[in-house]
Amino acid sequence: MSEAPAPVSEAETGLNRRAVGGWLLRPGRSLTRRLVWLASAWIALALVVTGAVLTYQFQESALRRLGSVLSATIDEAVIATTVMPDGSVLTTPIMDARTLRLLSGKYWAVAEPDGRGGLRTLVRSASLGSEGLAVPRGLPAQLAEAAGVNITYNAVGPNDEPLMVAASQKTLPGRAAPIVFLAGLDRSDIDADARQFATLAWVTLGLLGIGLLIAVFLQVRIGLRPLYDLRDEISNVRKGKAARIERTYPAEILPLAEQVNRLLDHNQDVVERQRTHVGNLAHALKTPLSVMLAEASGDPSQLADIVRRQSDVMKGQVDHHLRRARAAARSQGLGERTPVPEVLDEMSVMLERVFQSKSVEIDWRAPDSLGFLGERQDLQEILGNLMENACKWCARKVRVSAGTSGLGQMIVVIEDDGPGLASDRYDEVMKRGARADEDTPGSGLGLAIVDDLTRAYGGRLTLGPSDMGGLKAILTLPAAEL
Amino acid sequence: MRILLVEDDVDLSRQLKSALSDAGYAVDHAADGEEAHFLGDTEPYDVVVLDLGLPKIDGVSVLERWRRDGKTTPVLILTARGAWSDKVSGFDAGADDYLTKPFHTEELLARLRALLRRSAGIASATLACGGLWLDPRAARASVNGEPLRLTSLEYRLLHYMMMHQGRVISRTELVEHLYDQDFDRDSNTIEVFIGRVRKKIGTDRIETVRGLGYRLTPLTGESEAA
Repeated sequence: MSEAPAPVSEAETGLNRRAVGGWLLRPGRSLTRRLVWLASAWIALALVVTGAVLTYQFQESALRRLGSVLSATIDEAVIATTVMPDGSVLTTPIMDARTLRLLSGKYWAVAEPDGRGGLRTLVRSASLGSEGLAVPRGLPAQLAEAAGVNITYNAVGPNDEPLMVAASQKTLPGRAAPIVFLAGLDRSDIDADARQFATLAWVTLGLLGIGLLIAVFLQVRIGLRPLYDLRDEISNVRKGKAARIERTYPAEILPLAEQVNRLLDHNQDVVERQRTHVGNLAHALKTPLSVMLAEASGDPSQLADIVRRQSDVMKGQVDHHLRRARAAARSQGLGERTPVPEVLDEMSVMLERVFQSKSVEIDWRAPDSLGFLGERQDLQEILGNLMENACKWCARKVRVSAGTSGLGQMIVVIEDDGPGLASDRYDEVMKRGARADEDTPGSGLGLAIVDDLTRAYGGRLTLGPSDMGGLKAILTLPAAEL
Repeated sequence: MRILLVEDDVDLSRQLKSALSDAGYAVDHAADGEEAHFLGDTEPYDVVVLDLGLPKIDGVSVLERWRRDGKTTPVLILTARGAWSDKVSGFDAGADDYLTKPFHTEELLARLRALLRRSAGIASATLACGGLWLDPRAARASVNGEPLRLTSLEYRLLHYMMMHQGRVISRTELVEHLYDQDFDRDSNTIEVFIGRVRKKIGTDRIETVRGLGYRLTPLTGESEAA
């Protein structure tokens, strides 16, 4: 019960990590994607802020300039305005060509509140013709509140142009009623400038962003290249093209490469040690078994019979399990390549000698470059058993052909010209200890051993009839180019 | 028939000795490698049963020494290590047959009979060509004293070429003498076998005569030196 809190805290940290790290930092996500995503998020944010500040700033300064022109125009209008003794207002035309030309885009007007929330124009610039400057609702009230201050607003001009209008309420000497001075200026040029600037700024920033992203991507790819190299090397070791990690790596991942090598060495050690143990055990058990078998042979008693039979069972069991242990140990042994022609040659020479009294002839064919992706001992074991069987059952001839079959596989076909085997017995002989003929001494067909080993290498053993008359064994095994 | 039994396990050697005697052999027993080597070197045995795991000198080394000294006595290896790699190294050392422990005594006797029958074949003269040497009786060949490992097809090819050394032999002639009638007579396969034999005996010994065939020649430099 004291261990109960542990899983809770684990769950908590898991949750925290998920909450903090977010989807981007999930362990399965690629490093490149992580780095590129983070960098692009920052770059995008920085560029958007920069763009917004720049365009805002540009527009503001343009509007300020416009505002000062308007304010100057109002000032000129004020100076040109005289209050007549009867209280009426007289404004002499301002000497500005634009205010004189009809619908030029620059206007001024002098007005007074009409008392109904609007303005009544008293004097207007020549450019306005008979039109007035549009006045939004509530402006007179605002002006009255902030007398002497310029209030600017947007309006549509007499020529349907967008205008920026400044209005200011003043009180002139000699007249108690306030007077409102208005000045309007076409702002379409400034708007176009601002738009052009904004377009230019966003395009430039966009290009800069793309450039930065490409740079980040390249940087990440180049920066992570050693990792990809390491991955390739490890995959080569896995495929059997290399035995160890050979290249030199940057200081950050050098320890990783060294650890991989150490792990490979350790694996090799374990495999070797296991094999030695297995060999010793085999040696230790087999001589006593021979003694028991020899002692029992020729003795007709029931005890001797039991000893004989049980010794055979023990022998089969010892063989089977030792080979299984070895098969399991070695399927982890990485990176070995065995030349197939060499093994076929030594097996043929040896088996022809063993079966010399029968003049067995083994005709083997294999391309010189054909390699088996695995240990020599295992290929010897697999081919030895199958070829020995073929020699045992053939009339005189055994044919072995090996070749690659694409996809990193090789196929070895072993056939003989013997009596063959009924197809319904194929499954049976593949079973451990089964013999096609119980009278022939030896450890059965040994096909179970071959099958175990072949499977340990991810290969396959199938049986079929040969056109030579006998049995045809077809092996699929991992291949390696020599 | 005289037999040398080399086995260090006391019980097993006692049992085998009595079984072999019962089968009519005159049995000498050696319990270690040194004794075995001495006996095999000095006494004319018809056949030897040799355990590989021996005290003092191991079985493979004993066998290698005998073969280096030119002893051709057939040898059957007894070994607890039943892996094919162990069998192959035994054969490389010059063994004629093997039996893995544990075994049935009957099987040992059957194998010994077969070995003796084999070695009692009709004697014929050995063939020599330069440093090449071939003994048709034992079906063994060697080059410069080193035993050659040949498959039967390779052996047959070399045997034929040695019987006709110095003469150009056409591919068709070789095919006819290598294969039975039922074999597909693809003359390309001859090239394969010539290639394999060349690899084992040295490339220059078999000369390709363009358009005509092949010729086995004693390497002139070496044969004069010898």
